[in-house]
Amino acid sequence: MRKYAVIYRSVLMENLQYTVNIILGFISYFLIIFVFINLWGYMYAQPGTRIAGYTKEQMIWYVMITEMVWFSAQSQVVSGQASVDIRGGNIAYLMNKPYHYTLYILTRYTGEWSIRLPVYAGLAAITGAAMVGTLPKFGLPAFFASAASILLGITINGVFKLCISLTSFWVEDAKPFQWLYNKLILIVGTVFPIEIFPEAARPILKLTPIYTVCYGPAKLAVDFHADMYFEILRAQILYLAAGVCLMFFIYGKGVKKLYVNGG
Amino acid sequence: MSTEVKKSGNRKPCAGRIYSQLRVCLLSVKYNIMREMLNKVTFVSNIFFMILNNATFLIQWTVLFRIRGSIGGYTMKEVMLLWAVCASSYGLSNVLFARVFALPELIINGKLDAYLVQPKNVLLGVMTSATTASAIGDFAYGLIIVCFCGFGIGRILLFLLLIANGALIITAFALLLGSLSFWFVKTEMFGEHMLNAAINFGLYPDGIFKGAVKFLLYYVIPTGMMIYKPVRIMTEPDLGGLAVVAGYAFLLLAVAVTVFYRGLKRYSSGNLMSARV
Amino acid sequence: MKVIEAENLSKTFRVKRKEKGMKGSIRAILRQQTEEIKAVSGVSFAVEEGEALAFIGPNGAGKSTTIKMLTGILYPDGGKASVLGIDPAKKRKQLAYQIGTVFGQKEQLWIHLTPYDNFRFFGAIYDIPDGEIEKRIGELSDIFELSGLINTPVRNLSLGQRIRCEIAASLLHRPKILFLDEPTIGLDPVVKENIRSLIRQMNREFHTTIFLTSHDIGDIEKLCMRVIIVNSGQIVLDDSMEHLKFIDDSLEEIIMKIYQEKGREQPAV
Repeated sequence: MRKYAVIYRSVLMENLQYTVNIILGFISYFLIIFVFINLWGYMYAQPGTRIAGYTKEQMIWYVMITEMVWFSAQSQVVSGQASVDIRGGNIAYLMNKPYHYTLYILTRYTGEWSIRLPVYAGLAAITGAAMVGTLPKFGLPAFFASAASILLGITINGVFKLCISLTSFWVEDAKPFQWLYNKLILIVGTVFPIEIFPEAARPILKLTPIYTVCYGPAKLAVDFHADMYFEILRAQILYLAAGVCLMFFIYGKGVKKLYVNGG
Repeated sequence: MSTEVKKSGNRKPCAGRIYSQLRVCLLSVKYNIMREMLNKVTFVSNIFFMILNNATFLIQWTVLFRIRGSIGGYTMKEVMLLWAVCASSYGLSNVLFARVFALPELIINGKLDAYLVQPKNVLLGVMTSATTASAIGDFAYGLIIVCFCGFGIGRILLFLLLIANGALIITAFALLLGSLSFWFVKTEMFGEHMLNAAINFGLYPDGIFKGAVKFLLYYVIPTGMMIYKPVRIMTEPDLGGLAVVAGYAFLLLAVAVTVFYRGLKRYSSGNLMSARV
Repeated sequence: MKVIEAENLSKTFRVKRKEKGMKGSIRAILRQQTEEIKAVSGVSFAVEEGEALAFIGPNGAGKSTTIKMLTGILYPDGGKASVLGIDPAKKRKQLAYQIGTVFGQKEQLWIHLTPYDNFRFFGAIYDIPDGEIEKRIGELSDIFELSGLINTPVRNLSLGQRIRCEIAASLLHRPKILFLDEPTIGLDPVVKENIRSLIRQMNREFHTTIFLTSHDIGDIEKLCMRVIIVNSGQIVLDDSMEHLKFIDDSLEEIIMKIYQEKGREQPAV
């Protein structure tokens, strides 16, 4: 474990140098949120209306939290770097190092988002309080529940993105699959809560990573119930376990293929 | 001897110089695309997935139009047109001038050197030195949508004219932002986000924005002139409007090119050497 | 006739410093610390037409900076440079038509294209008419023995074949001066020898002036008539090869001695 801690610390230190960039990056987040504030402002023409059971404030905070997760989880390491390592043949050197390659990548990923997330969270809270207003149900329990769920969600996201990158052992270019995954998260998961989709689609959406990566954390923040927390937590743990198993499985298969075919 | 040298190619007449420059640019673009096509599967899948990727946003708009029939004065058809203009303009710019979007990286790592020893225009040489295969998908998506929304030769020609202009605007904007790296090493991300913002705003009807924001969209980032105005011209053709967007593109380009060459002087003075000695 | 003249050429860079560890990282956010480094300070020399000059020195001595100033990539902040009677800083493009550059570590070729396509591209860049470029490609491919590989994508060529193509490409427009920055880096001895003889041939047949930087003693010994050694941005030796050989049998020893004498004063950048 200690070596992963050292890797984590180095990435953290490296990224600390780019704090200014992260803060500048927030401008982009802000602009997107700004679009949604305008969009939902337009959609909720009369005050007091609810769409899919959400008030205007809840709807905007929902997007703010899912976008925050999205922005914090942006990482070249799990998406691009792993593919480049594998396709470029660099993996042959990396896999013989005294650490597990996938955990090494995930550690670096964690080092990246653990600076970005607090910065974004702080700035997003200020933005929300100033431009959207507070949420009546938001208290300490909601805060801790959604915070824990955000951390788990981002980790699950990293595991899945890495799984996709690992397909580079077989496919020439994993980018299209990354895209599809990103689109699923971004279009279906980030913009709308699941309740906005037709009844028939909801159970399917609950099975996708959307539920554990975006919906769960955001829903807990805007509309906290204790029983819902346990349901989401359970789903996240199941997802993480399944994802990690899948990751080790794909990596193992890939490495075996490499030994047989010599890259 | 000196007069002879002058005649033998170094000082060609203007038209000849432009022709030979254009020839180099076209050759560059051709080679770029040839390079991308080396792996046919990747090339085709990149294009295909980009089209699909853009099409996924129809889900978002279907959901939104289920809640309200008209959003910011746009119906589904106009939103599709909005997407068409945005995707094709951005796509065209990325097919021809993809490297302009990587300008900060080139500046910071001293990679402009290779273009500086060539006897051709540095800026054009840099900009045309790469292409993005997926951008062909973006470009195609817009064309498909426009044909889908109502086919007509005149309409398509107008569309092509507008997106050519839009591509110039986004290229100039990227050039302007990228050139900031000549002065400030850490503006790379800022520029990227500004570009994303310009595109992202353009994917929503301008009717949902009010007052100061509208000002921002027309005067700070080029979304208005690149996307909203062309969409309006597409629905109600108007020559005056066409002249306005063309004038805007020209102006922005002039500013961006000036800033780039100012920056290039700095580059050649070695003021950025900190990053690359 | 002098083709290169440098007079008191100087260049100073400002370099960022970062302190060690987490504290240093945090401090660097708040305040940038810079220091000035004199990459080239007061360098003067001249090169005659048709001469083959080795411009050598340890890493960070100012070789590349000097080449960059002579080719117009960098502007000097002191002194004057004149290449073929042109001020590189002012008329870079005009100069570019008349000089060739080969950077051993930076490829100028499009590696996914064949040498032939590359040559055609360079032909377009240097405004060489279609008929003429075909003639020159034929000529150079004879000299550089490229006929067997001219239609193979560059990425499939060996390093030695690539560098041969690089040099051929940089000669298409018949430059009067050829700047070579470590052209034989990473090549095996046989290929090195082959490249050297080609460069020598260019020098003799076309009377092309050669300006070479290299860490390879063999390059210098076999190619050049004259050696300039720079260290810490200054010329520490400027002498003819003949004379140097007269002082000591081994050029390597002379160079090592000079490198070590001056090398400790300033850390390499």
